[in-house]
Amino acid sequence: MNDTAWHASPALMERYAVGDVSHAAACSIEAHLVSCADCRQLVATQVDAPRTDAVWERLLDELDAPRPGPVERFLLHLRVPDHTARLLAATPSLRASWLLAVAATLLFAVAAAHVGPGDGAIFLLVAPLLPLAGVAGAYGRTMDPAAEISTASPASGLHLVLVRPGAVLTTTVGLTLLAALAVPFDGVGAAAWLLPALGLTVTALAAGTVIDTGRAAIGLAAAWLAGAGLSIWSDMGGGAALSTAARDLAAYQPAGQLAFLALVLVGATVVVARRTTFEMEIA
Amino acid sequence: MTKQDVRSDAELLSAIADGDRVAFQELYRRHSPWLTLRLTRRCAMPDVVDQAVQDTFLAVWRKPKAYQGSGEVAAWLWGIGVRRLIDQLRRTHKSLPPVQEELVVSAEDRVLEGTEHGDLAGALQRLSPELRAVVQATVLDGLTTREASRLLGIPTGTVKTRMSRARTQLREALA
Repeated sequence: MNDTAWHASPALMERYAVGDVSHAAACSIEAHLVSCADCRQLVATQVDAPRTDAVWERLLDELDAPRPGPVERFLLHLRVPDHTARLLAATPSLRASWLLAVAATLLFAVAAAHVGPGDGAIFLLVAPLLPLAGVAGAYGRTMDPAAEISTASPASGLHLVLVRPGAVLTTTVGLTLLAALAVPFDGVGAAAWLLPALGLTVTALAAGTVIDTGRAAIGLAAAWLAGAGLSIWSDMGGGAALSTAARDLAAYQPAGQLAFLALVLVGATVVVARRTTFEMEIA
Repeated sequence: MTKQDVRSDAELLSAIADGDRVAFQELYRRHSPWLTLRLTRRCAMPDVVDQAVQDTFLAVWRKPKAYQGSGEVAAWLWGIGVRRLIDQLRRTHKSLPPVQEELVVSAEDRVLEGTEHGDLAGALQRLSPELRAVVQATVLDGLTTREASRLLGIPTGTVKTRMSRARTQLREALA
């Protein structure tokens, strides 16, 4: 493209750089610059070297900085503050592998409801445990790669307590709700597992102010399975079908639901009141 | 940034695709100044322009293969640059202060207009600044109506009406 006879003069370039040319001349120069390396070289002298050097330095910093992962970039795109995005992206129970495991469990429970005996019995047994496991996975030294960083971070205890379980509950409960739509329930609402799930989760968090949240979650899960298993076993011993026995679980009766609601409220109060211990626990 | 690099822009880009930082620095040295100046004519805020230039070259480093291998590398860079500027303006929610108005038309400009553009330059010159800005954004900068509306801070409908008005005026002037 060097066959053009026209070249911008240094004086014209100087005036272009300060905006002192007519519109037509500016358009002409700009169209020419695209195809003329010599004139690009000429106009380059019109920009302060410190300015382009400063941009270059920042560019290098950005190149060398670790690139946030897809989850973090998505959160940043939604205008989530960067420290919160990092905190969420590092949550073990928000990882794809974890969510896949949750989805697989739900798929199994839904399949069992259609193929195996007892309709939604397995679903009713398992569903309350998934959010509990998710929240337990959001804390503690054993699972959280960011535990050491959280220790040193100046984020307030309550912020840390609420952000991660909030995100975990949203994803896990959302998945479970979707799965619940595919389960043929009989006599029990499709959302009956919600209060037990929240009750167990909040209790684990409340217990987490005293002992390790992970251990508290394991204890609660064991208690839930033992209690439910015992109840179903004794019901079936009395001649009831598995589906009826699961449905008749105390947790899915009005009184049981109320009890779990109370557990949610008490647990939440304890968590808020003892929020400072979360910094201590992680530390 | 002193050694003379004889590689063409396209060769630099393929070297960048292999992670060659020297080639990247050379491309930056060649193209960041004019890009800075040209963007400055669209946006008078130096911080915003610098960020757009930085984002442009970051995009080049990450996806040098987006260059199709034909046409001027500079034209390709401009396409990225002006869109990064628009992104930047949208992100900072800054409205665009009007680009500097024309000053006195010098003898040099008259010569330029007479020899290089003929009537077109004069006709462009007689458009109102609002219409001219739309012509520049859509015709010369190659932006879509939507991108032009973001750059100029006016609704897309306004871009369309101003463009059709400008077209009418130019047609009359050149008839």
